[in-house]
Amino acid sequence: MSPHVNLIETESLEKRYGGTVTALADLTVTIEPGIVGLVGANGAGKSTLIKLSLGLLEPTGGKIRVLGLDPLTDGNAIRARVGYMPEHDCLPPDVSAAEFVTHMGRVSGLPAAAARERASETLRHVGLYEERYRQIGGYSTGMKQRVKLAQALVHDPELLLLDEPTNGLDPEGRRAMLALVHRIGSEFGISVVVCSHLLGEIERICTSLVAIENGRLLRSASLSSMTQHSDILMIEVDDGEDALSERLSGDGLAVRRKDRVLMVTLNGDNTFDMIRDAVADLDLSLHRLEQHRHQVADLFREEASHV
Amino acid sequence: MTAIDTEPRTTTVKTSAVELTGVSHWYGNVVAVNDVTLTVGPGVTGLLGPNGAGKTTVLHMMAGFLPPSQGTVTVGGRPSWRNPDVYRQLGLVTERESVPGHLTAQEFVHASAKLHGLKDAAAATAKAIGIVEMNDAKDRRISTYSKGMRQRTRVAAALVHDPSVLLLDEPFNGMDPRQRLHMMDLLHKMAEQGRTILFSSHILEEVEQLSGTVQVIVAGRLAASGDYRHIRRLMTNRPHVFTIQSSDNRGLGAALMELESVSGVELEPSGLQVRANDYGTFTRTLTKVARDKDIRLTAVLPSDESLENVFSYLVAS
Repeated sequence: MSPHVNLIETESLEKRYGGTVTALADLTVTIEPGIVGLVGANGAGKSTLIKLSLGLLEPTGGKIRVLGLDPLTDGNAIRARVGYMPEHDCLPPDVSAAEFVTHMGRVSGLPAAAARERASETLRHVGLYEERYRQIGGYSTGMKQRVKLAQALVHDPELLLLDEPTNGLDPEGRRAMLALVHRIGSEFGISVVVCSHLLGEIERICTSLVAIENGRLLRSASLSSMTQHSDILMIEVDDGEDALSERLSGDGLAVRRKDRVLMVTLNGDNTFDMIRDAVADLDLSLHRLEQHRHQVADLFREEASHV
Repeated sequence: MTAIDTEPRTTTVKTSAVELTGVSHWYGNVVAVNDVTLTVGPGVTGLLGPNGAGKTTVLHMMAGFLPPSQGTVTVGGRPSWRNPDVYRQLGLVTERESVPGHLTAQEFVHASAKLHGLKDAAAATAKAIGIVEMNDAKDRRISTYSKGMRQRTRVAAALVHDPSVLLLDEPFNGMDPRQRLHMMDLLHKMAEQGRTILFSSHILEEVEQLSGTVQVIVAGRLAASGDYRHIRRLMTNRPHVFTIQSSDNRGLGAALMELESVSGVELEPSGLQVRANDYGTFTRTLTKVARDKDIRLTAVLPSDESLENVFSYLVAS
């Protein structure tokens, strides 16, 4: 895949349903290769953007290009190069995963033999082994999510669109799904656009983030720029917070206390030594010493406080 | 943030605990809950467990929907099964989202108030809708609401009789980030008033933010209960892993390796990975060792203390 081709590029993209509902209004964004988190409130227009990208809907204004192609005229070419994992339950209950994924491979244009081989390989990648010969109707949520991912991967796409891939999964299932998505993005070199409401997940696996709000772009940035260090050090000790707080204030540092955590404003590298010595002198247990990072959730906290 | 505009009449409510003593529940031959004894007191408590562990069965027994096959379930000291009186102090928000779309939030919550036989149903309705901050939309039909608004409406209906115990099954499901923050604030506020709030969730980061206190159910049994950080400390057979960044990782690593309390040290790109088999001694000694060697500590991160780690240890063991 040429690294210079943008995944999705939109210019003043607009989509209205009927005359009344505006899902996207004047959205201009460029999504570059990588693992990209797509976030936004319910109804912000995420699903509409995905459907427009796949050529399943027609925009009412503006332009959209996916992998350099126009979804309206080159819909088939795009769908051959893009894999899509929908959010809702969309699997037929009365066929096996092996049959279903093979079928989806053939729909994407693979010859019968290749489709069968790819289906087998892809199901193994997503962690479905003997179960694949059982009917999908009897699968757990976690297994169904894996089948949905496998059918999106079977034709070896360049871009994978995942809509809420961890929906309904329990902690172990989520961990496994996130590890899988991260592996697809980093080891297989397939670009991924993942929609999620769980900002912690986005922070864990994504390289960049696009936030949309009311059909417009709210923010597009790399994850590292959104989770930069701030100049606050967070200190946790086991008992003795008061003594430590007093000592550090006495040393001339700005100390705030939030529950069990002491927040100290970093004032040159000396601050680190002052904290170390204070903890040692007071004979305390140092549980955590960490420079505070901004979180993706701050984006929504700031917004919420403006309302 | 808009403040609660209908201030609750009482800022503190009567507190009640939910208690399970030797409780089992079986469906035919399937044992869903197996000899569970636990107490949930005032504050926010997370109910955790893998799919199929028995969380919903536990919640339904607490709410009096299911009888325990064995043992007793009490709310505020009185049994929950076949005891309609319990609903005077208990509210439940079920996992399945079933609200009549043709009603407005106002009508739905008011109906709930009347079902509870409240004397002043209108005032109770206004108050509950105020608490969940749904005043602006309360006269629109529920079918036009977003998922978060529907969820808040359901919480209002469960709250209308000012219960001291609120049970919520997966309250964050399908909510977007802002709605999640909002719901967390709401649960916090209600807990501060002295209510007992128990919610089930799969999103461990959120449980971590909302409450340190958890009840973990694995395969129908209570695997752990209490503050997850304390639970982690009690797992003495697992070394505590710390990631440390300093001005001289190699020098610090060599010095730490001499300590009795350290069982292993690794140099990683992210910093120094230290496995400590004696948590108390190690955390007390670390700063002294660094000071003696004149090494600057810039980060000390306990890397297997998160609720997610604690949970995976519990599920695996």
